[in-house]
Parts: sequence; C-alpha cells; structure tokens
Amino acid sequence: MAAHLSYGRVNLNVLREAVRRELREFLDKCAGSKAIVWDEYLTGPFGLIAQYSLLKEHEVEKMFTLKGNRLPAADVKNIIFFVRPRLELMDIIAENVLSEDRRGPTRDFHILFVPRRSLLCEQRLKDLGVLGSFIHREEYSLDLIPFDGDLLSMESEGAFKECYLEGDQTSLYHAAKGLMTLQALYGTIPQIFGKGECARQVANMMIRMKREFTGSQNSIFPVFDNLLLLDRNVDLLTPLATQLTYEGLIDEIYGIQNSYVKLPPEKFAPKKQGDGGKDLPTEAKKLQLNSAEELYAEIRDKNFNAVGSVLSKKAKIISAAFEVNNYIEDCIAQKHSLIKVLRLVCLQSVCNSGLKQKVLDYYKREILQTYGYEHILTLHNLEKAGLLKPQTGGRNNYPTIRKTLRLWMDDVNEQNPTDISYVYSGYAPLSVRLAQLLSRPGWRSIEEVLRILPGPHFEERQPLPTGLQKKRQPGENRVTLIFFLGGVTFAEIAALRFLSQLEDGGTEYVIATTKLMNGTSWIEALMEKPF
Amino acid sequence: MDCYTANWNPLGDSAFYRKYELYSMDWDLKEELRDCLVAAAPYGGPIALLRNPWRKEKAASVRPVLDIYSASGMPLASLLWKSGPVVSLGWSAEEELLCVQEDGAVLVYGLHGDFRRHFSMGNEVLQNRVLDARIFHTEFGSGVAILTGAHRFTLSANVGDLKLRRMPEVPGLQSAPSCWTVLCQDRVAHILLAVGPDLYLLDHAACSAVTPPGLAPGVSSFLQMAVSFTYRHLALFTDTGYIWMGTASLKEKLCEFNCNIRAPPKQMVCTHEFLHEVPAASEEIFKIASMAPGALLLEAQKEYEKESQKADEYLREIQELGQLTQAVQQCIEAAGHEHQPDMQKSLLRAASFGKCFLDRFPPDSFVHMCQDLRVLNAVRDYHIGIPLTYSQYKQLTIQVLLDRLVLRRLYPLAIQICEYLRLPEVQGVSRILAHWACYKVQQKDVSDEDVARAINQKLGDTPGVSYSDIAARAYGCGRTELAIKLLEYEPRSGEQVPLLLKMKRSKLALSKAIESGDTDLVFTVLLHLKNELNRGDFFMTLRNQPMALSLYRQFCKHQELETLKDLYNQDDNHQELGSFHIRASYAAEERIEGRVAALQTAADAFYKAKNEFAAKATEDQMRLLRLQRRLEDELGGQFLDLSLHDTVTTLILGGHNKRAEQLARDFRIPDKRLWWLKLTALADLEDWEELEKFSKSKKSPIGYLPFVEICMKQHNKYEAKKYASRVGPEQKVKALLLVGDVAQAADVAIEHRNEAELSLVLSHCTGATDGATADKIQRARAQAQKK
Repeated sequence: MAAHLSYGRVNLNVLREAVRRELREFLDKCAGSKAIVWDEYLTGPFGLIAQYSLLKEHEVEKMFTLKGNRLPAADVKNIIFFVRPRLELMDIIAENVLSEDRRGPTRDFHILFVPRRSLLCEQRLKDLGVLGSFIHREEYSLDLIPFDGDLLSMESEGAFKECYLEGDQTSLYHAAKGLMTLQALYGTIPQIFGKGECARQVANMMIRMKREFTGSQNSIFPVFDNLLLLDRNVDLLTPLATQLTYEGLIDEIYGIQNSYVKLPPEKFAPKKQGDGGKDLPTEAKKLQLNSAEELYAEIRDKNFNAVGSVLSKKAKIISAAFEVNNYIEDCIAQKHSLIKVLRLVCLQSVCNSGLKQKVLDYYKREILQTYGYEHILTLHNLEKAGLLKPQTGGRNNYPTIRKTLRLWMDDVNEQNPTDISYVYSGYAPLSVRLAQLLSRPGWRSIEEVLRILPGPHFEERQPLPTGLQKKRQPGENRVTLIFFLGGVTFAEIAALRFLSQLEDGGTEYVIATTKLMNGTSWIEALMEKPF
Repeated sequence: MDCYTANWNPLGDSAFYRKYELYSMDWDLKEELRDCLVAAAPYGGPIALLRNPWRKEKAASVRPVLDIYSASGMPLASLLWKSGPVVSLGWSAEEELLCVQEDGAVLVYGLHGDFRRHFSMGNEVLQNRVLDARIFHTEFGSGVAILTGAHRFTLSANVGDLKLRRMPEVPGLQSAPSCWTVLCQDRVAHILLAVGPDLYLLDHAACSAVTPPGLAPGVSSFLQMAVSFTYRHLALFTDTGYIWMGTASLKEKLCEFNCNIRAPPKQMVCTHEFLHEVPAASEEIFKIASMAPGALLLEAQKEYEKESQKADEYLREIQELGQLTQAVQQCIEAAGHEHQPDMQKSLLRAASFGKCFLDRFPPDSFVHMCQDLRVLNAVRDYHIGIPLTYSQYKQLTIQVLLDRLVLRRLYPLAIQICEYLRLPEVQGVSRILAHWACYKVQQKDVSDEDVARAINQKLGDTPGVSYSDIAARAYGCGRTELAIKLLEYEPRSGEQVPLLLKMKRSKLALSKAIESGDTDLVFTVLLHLKNELNRGDFFMTLRNQPMALSLYRQFCKHQELETLKDLYNQDDNHQELGSFHIRASYAAEERIEGRVAALQTAADAFYKAKNEFAAKATEDQMRLLRLQRRLEDELGGQFLDLSLHDTVTTLILGGHNKRAEQLARDFRIPDKRLWWLKLTALADLEDWEELEKFSKSKKSPIGYLPFVEICMKQHNKYEAKKYASRVGPEQKVKALLLVGDVAQAADVAIEHRNEAELSLVLSHCTGATDGATADKIQRARAQAQKK
C-alpha cells in the first residue's frame, strides 16, 4: 500500500494494486530465478509501482540496463526484457540474445512490452531471427501511473512533439487505453467534455473501444462524474511562464523526475564554517516529493512569496512589448541559457498572437548567431508547434481571451488566495480557468472564446444502466477527471487542487497527463540537436 | 399406482432395475442390425450404422452405406462408403464418428456425415492390419485401442492430441485373446485381456497376470467382458455360463450368478440407461406400500385434489414425524428421475403442495428442477432425440448440451433454452448465434449480400459475438467478398485487420487500422503494403492517408532516411526537405566541402519553400563554415561548429582582435551584442588595459553598469571603480553600491530624492562603519517628509 495514493476522493491505490498484480502474475509465469534487463527509461516510472523488494519476492535476482553486445553473466534461469516497443531496442535485444546463445547453458528469454505489445517490433525480432527464442511475449499496460492521491501521469516525454508536430497519435491511443483501464476499475465516466483536436481523437477512440468491449458489461458504480480532455495547445502560454508555487519552483530550478528531486550536495553542507571540510556530502541528494510527507503536502501548492514578488514584476512587463524586446535582446547578448531565451520569445509570441515579422526575424537571427546555426531546426519545431509565429493580418485575439476568462488578476492574495491566479502571482492559467468555467456555469457562457481557441470543443455522454446512475446527495461534490494531452505543470495542478478545496467549489479534480512538465523540459523536448 | 412398478425387476435384495422404451424407432432399416457395425454414442447421442459387407464371404460388389440417426431414429446423414474396409465404429466425446479401417487409418466424420479429417494408428498397425478395435472415453477425451494381426495392442488415449502408444507384448500369446477391453484407472488407460483361463493387465510398461477374487473354479476360458461407463465395475462371462461382477480394480467381488447359457452372447454391455437401477428417491416413493414421507405426501396431494379429508390425515402424519421437508425433497428429486411429463408433474405438484406447509423451504431446488425438466423434456422430444437422464444432464452440464444442440444445427431450440435459463449472453445466446452464423456462411446457394444481411440482422451488436471469427470461416470456405462484408460489422480492429491482410485487402486494412487509432496496427499494415505494392503505388496510397503518411515518416526518420527524402520530394515539401539536408550536413559528411554542399541543397530547398530567412541563414552558415575552416588552417585551434558568437569570442581570447572585428562586421553583429561579447571576453582574459581602451572607443551602447558588474565578478574593485563613475544617473546608485561605496551611493540617492534608492542604500548599511551614512539618509527622509 502506498498511503499517499489513498488520501483523495478517488483511491488510486486500487489502480496501483491492479498494475502490481498484473506484474506479479507475469513474473510468476516465468518460473525460477530471473534477471531483468531494463529499458532505462522505464526504471523511473516502475519505481512508483514496485520497489525492488517486490521483484525480489518473485525471484528477480539481477537487474541490468539494456545495452548492446553480450549480457553480463548471471546465474539465472530466466532473462526478461522490460522494454518500450521501439525498433531500435529490438535490435539491441536481438544482439543480446544472439551473443548469449553461443555460450554456456541456455536460458529462457521473455519480453514484457510496456505499455503495448507491438506487431511491428515482433516482426523486427522475427526478421532478426530471434522471435522464436522468447517463451513469453506479453504486454504490461502501464499507461497511467499513480503519482499522488489525485495525480496520474503516463510519463511519455515525446507525447507533445509526436502529437502536435509529427502527427503520431501513438500516445493518444495509449491515453485512451489508460482511460479504459481506469473505467474498468472506477466505473464508466458518464460525461466526457473536451477541447482540441487530440481531445477529440481520444474521445473517439474511447467510444470505439467501449464498443469493442461490449459484453463484458462494467457494473461498477461510477466514481468519476466527468472527464475533461484538454489539448496542451489550447493553452500554450501557461507552461512558458515561471511557476511560482513551492513545488513548481523546485521543478523549475532543480527538475522533478518521477516524483523525485535531486538536490545539489552543497545545499546540505554544514552551515557554520568551522565544521566544514569534514563531512561534505559529494553526491546529489535524492528526495521523494509527494503528499505522504505532511509538511510537503501542506506547502507544495502555496505561492512562493519571496520569489514571487520579484518575478511577478517580470510577468507584468510582458504587456509592454518594447521593454520585453530589450530584455530578450539583453538575455541573448549575455548568452543566457538558450532555453530561457526561447521560453521568453515564445511567451511573447503566444501573448501577442505572433510577433511582427521584423521582430521575429531579428530574434531568430540573433539566436542563430549566438547559439549556433544548428538551432534553425529547433526554431522550425517551435514554429510548427505554434509557439513561435509571425503576426498575420488578423486580429490579435489574446486580449479578448484574457478579458473574458479573467486571466490577469490585479488584486492577488498570495497568502490566502481567493482565485487560481495566485499560482503565477496574478496570472490565472487558461487551462484551469476552462475547467473551472466548465463546472460552473458551463461552457455555453464562453462559446465565443472557445471558438477562438484551437480545435473543436465537444461533449459526449456514455449511457449508464439505470442501476448505476448516481443520485447526488445535497452538498456532495462532483469528481472530474481532467486529462492534459501534451503535459501539465505543477502550478496548474496546484490551481486545480485549490479549486478542489474551495468549500463552495462543487467539484473535486483528479489530474491525469501524458507528462508532468515545466517550460524548460517542454522546450527541451522540442529542441533538436543534430550533433 | 400398481402398474407403476410393473417394469421393476429386483436385483439382489436391495435394488431394483427398471426398463422402459424411450422411442419407438421409426427408422427404415434395410439390413438386419446384426449384419451391421453399430455405434451408439453415450449420453443420448447419435447412432451410426454401417452395413458390413467385409465380414461376408462374397466380396463386396456393392458399396456399403453409412447411415447416421438421432437416438430417436431420425435420419441425420447417409453416405456411400468409398474408403477401405472398416473394423470398428465409435463416437468421440465431441460426437464425432471415428471409423477404424483395417489398415489402421481412422476416418473422422461429423454428425451430419461431413468428413472432418483422418489420422493413422501407425506403421506397425498398417503392416499387421487391424484385428479388432475399441473406441473408449476418458476424462481427457476419446481414445482408440487397436489389436493388430500380430496380437499386439496400440492405443491413443486422446484422438484430439494424437500420441500413439504401443503396449508391451503379452508373453506366449499365439492367437487373438478370447476377449479384451480397455480400463481406465488413475488417468491411465490399461488393457485387460483374456487368454484361455488367464487374465492379463497391460499397462504401458508391463504385462501382469491378474485373478479376480472369489472366481468360481472350473473356468477354462473367458468369453466376454464388459466394463461400466465409469470404469468402476467389470463383468466377466465364462465358458461355464458363469458371470462374475466386481470392481474394475479386480480387488472386490460384488456378485456372481450362473445363467446356464454356454454359448457366448453376441454382446454384453454394462448399460446405464434404458435399463437402469431405480434411483433411491423413486424407490422410496413408489415401492409398494411405502410409508416414506414422499410417498405419503404424494398421496396427500392426490386426496387433496379429490377434495377428500384424507389429505389432512396424511399431511398430519408426515408433520407429526417432522418429515415434511424431507418429503418435499424426495418428491422433487423423484420428479427428476421420471421420464413421463405426467408423472413429473404429479410429483412436482405434491412437492409444491407440501411446500405450502413449510415456513422456510428454500425455493431453489424446486425452481431449478422445474427448469431442468423443461429443458430435458424439450431435448427428449423425438424430433430432437437426445434422451438424457437427469443425472446425465447434470454431468454433461448445460454448456455441453448447448454445444450438442448446436452440433445438430438446432439453433432456435438452443437459443430458447439460453433465454429460458437466462444464461449470460456471452456464454449463451451470443455463442449460439456465432455458431449459427458460421454455419450460415457455408450455405453456398445464398448470395453474399443475403448471408451478410441475415447474419447482421440476427446478431446485431450482440455482445461477445466475434464477426471476425465468422468472417474467417467465410474466407475458409472461399467466400472472400462475404468475409469482407462481415468484417464491416467487427468492432475490434485488432481482429479485423490481420484477416483483411490475409485476404490481401491491404488498403481496406489500412483504413480500418487508421480508424482504430492503434498506430502499431497501422505500422503493420504499412510494412505489408510496402512489400506488396511498387514504390509509386505505395506512395500514392500514403498520400491519400495523411495519418499513415505521418506515421510512415516517423518510421523512416529512424529506419530509412533516404525514403524520408523521397516522401518529402513527392509532396513538394521543400521546408522539410531543407531541414532534412541541414540534418544530413551534420550526420553524413566529415569533409567541409560535403557539408557545404548539403547546406547548399538545404538553402535551395528553403528558397523553393519561399522561406527567405532560412535560406539566407543557411547561406550565412556556409560562409561561416568556410571561414572557420580557414581560421583553423591559419591560426590552428578549434573553430568548426562554434556559433558565430563563440567564434568571435575565441578570436578575441586568442588576441586576434582585428579578425574578430572583421567577422562581426561581415555578419553584421548588432553593436549591443558585440559590446557584451567583447566585455565578457576581455574580462575573462583579465586584459584590463584593453578593456579600458575598448570602453573609451566610443560611447557604450549598453551603458557602463555591465562593466562594473563584470569587474566585480572578477573581484577587481579597482577596475570596477573606474567605470562606476561613468555609469549614468539612473544606475549610479546601484553601481556605487556594487563597488562598496555606500557613502557616495547615499549622496547620489539623496540628490535624486528617490525613495526606492534610499531604501536600497539603507539596506546596504551594515555595522558601525556605515552608521553615519544611515543617519544621513534618515535625516534626508525626514526632511523630504517635512516638505
């Protein structure tokens, strides 16, 4: 049991237990001692599901990282590859298997594909002549991993780029599958709302999958009342801004990976000078961050005041285009980090529905000259994602959106917030505002803005058998599952938690996403480094 | 009542047997039964007849006929036997007819005379011919045992999973055993055979002699042996006309008797049915003058119907003994063992009557019995002809019974039963409809459209029906078009797509895969298409499917870069082509000429894409590359792939100021950035002299605060102070504070009358040294407030 998963309205331990069971069942299929060969990317997410002790209980004696050539020696009966279904990984596996066969006692090989078994990969293994070497080839549908009592993530780094730049919907398909798993455990979600192209596609796939599963009628009383699917490109602005909540800032500064943060050792050096030199830690300290830690649970979503006042000023100068131009120019001239520069340029572009062609070209030229011409590929990617664009003749719609959705609030109380805008010291994340308005008074009130924002908005109903229809008690909150397709930031999560806690809010949120991210990791995933 | 027990015969002291006619067979036999090979399947299964011409002296000039009848004699199939001589017939548990030929080949037919498959019992059997054969049933399935002309036994315990086993030799066996049978014990099949007065048991390892306990002396030969259906009991018939009955383990004798007939019976079978032991419940109730509670209850109910007060008397009698529950149970149970609906009804009526006087009698047993009997009566009808007993039905389970109805193509009855018993759709109605559909697609005289429509009308979206299974069957019958039509109804793309590929409908498979959103499925189809179509057609197909095209591009990006280029070319996507060549300029080429050439191609592509900016930038890059190359040649060191900014910095750090400036001019680096660049580079070099010269070269476009900052960063307060004085008024206070001149900073702030600056200076006033300054500021503040 992971206590931090059962705090919320929806007990996500049920999901965790279900995926643990699936893992145990697979391990038990391969009788005898085992070594696991890991696709390194998977170790982080797996750590949230099963510690080494669980694997050990099922006779896992050795663990290796997947790499070419021979496998390290291990006196075990089974060798199991835990991999994502990627062709390049299949090549490595084949190399491992082929060099293994030539020496010593034969062992049983197995593959566990995460999250989906792939015909394409199996064909590759077949072409390489090793498909027959595997006794079990199975899939482990680890789509949505529980991170906290109200938080699920697919931890799919490439999802945004694949969906919005490359037209590759694989992660959307996994998202839909993950939602089907959730519905199998927590009941059919009666209403689906969505905004954006990807949202539309995920909803379509869900409806289709439901038709595929008819017959195994789900008779679980629904835990979720609504599902809200949101495309990240409906709100490109929010992740670009600096998060000003405690957890958001830790992520901005140190980066949180699979709920762990690595802090530099000097932060733990003894304060007094006299004691120095003796026990200076040299390794980065790894800490887990979730609501299991009481203090952390309390402060994680609060505004980080001290820093807040400084940065919020910076946020406000955005409106004054002239100053921003200078600021960005200076940042480039001083060769600040490229990601920071890109974040600023994109921020300016998104806020103004594009940049004047002259300004855009100037920035691009400056960036290429300063950071290298190879970044022309990165700039191109940002343009494809809509993060960077020239102003076209049309109207700048952003002010309309800003006013209708009340995105910029002047009177923000950071200590005792009354509005979600506290998470960015005065800027309310558009994504969260959409969720808030959906629950009250409904999207009909903002039709005009919804039409301006990219992609369709829609509503689907999934009929429930009469016996499963909910009769709400007076004062009982609805539970909405909100799924960010393309990533979500900790500040947005904090804003949603704030809404969940409002006494007269009426809605509690469980958050799901393809990836927990911040502006830095987001831009980084869009960057291309040809050498 | 007196006539009820008329067909009862006592067997020993404690049991009765009864016999009744199930059906009057209305078959029209042309041959006498004794001239035929006969096989009746257990559990009310079908009957097969094959006139056996091979046994007669005269060779067969007329081909024999194989007839299959239902248990009630309704003809199911009739076919001319065209194959070799048959030694034995038998039914498998799946109701498949196994015909064992003399050459050891076993031909398998379905209930409707449809040939299914054949298999051989091995070379040894083929060489020595089959002398005798038995079909037997085990918990794993149905087996075949063969006695060959060489007097050896070969058997397979499960014809579904054929594993031949040759049994060990029986020592001294010169002629065929007088009789033999298959015994199944502890999941292993054995053979019991009689040679003269001796009995032998063969298992897969050894042959051992056995003696039945308590066998009467004087036996010189066993003529017949029979084993019960459950393999629990065995009967032996000797040449003395003596019958021994006991357990099949040969460890216990049950009874013996002498029938004084010496001639061997043609057949001796331990039957289970038609003639069967009267079940206990029935015996209790119907035994003459029985006082069992059930019997009394039955009487009571009859009297009640006659409106006689005797009903009350009987009832009291039962109640006084406290046996009413038992009475009801007995009646329910006995009803199950009755064959005639009238009798079932009167027993159930009695049970129902008794129930009225009980407070808490759980209704299940009564309800279930009523349901079971309705099902049984329905299948016992002679049109259906499955005369199952209640206990057989319970053993068989409803699922198997449904399977058997399906096998007989009695789909409507099967569905009625499912609906009546309210079986879950997936196990019940859906499964039967799917079977029906599979049968339907084999009707070649009906058009594809009609079959597809008929199937969809019946099946609709019934949960658990696999349209792809039905389609696969249709494809198997050579009806590809029908299969495609049926696949349209299949909601699971994972099932739909592979079959479409198998049927070579790859393009249709592609659109189905795309619909599903399952990218792996799309990839699979794409790779299929790629092999199937020529390149041009393949690209055209992709062009019409944007989603597939994007996915294929993804694949090419990692696997086939050249194809990626062709794809962009086909679409005239010059922007992406440009990016492609940019990447190529880094990846493939080591030589500078090659890289420049790749960049030139990229620039050309960008021009075609009307992306002037990218084209120019790429040309700049080419220029820079060539230049860096020259710098490396002339100055040594590493310049390639540095950014322009870093190239200039490197030149300054290397003391090549002139070249640096030339480069900055050539590439029109904006003044501000160039100043930052030089400032940073010179400070890194700690070339303070050059820095000062530079600062005086003209008025700084970035002001002088950066100079102060950078000197302080290098811990050079002396130099920093030089620039602090030149910082403009707006940033003066900040500059002075940086160099630690708090007093002067205070003066400037006071002069500016700027509250923010005053606070800033005040916050820098630390310790005693700045005490005076702090006072000064406070005074200035106070003065400002007075005004």
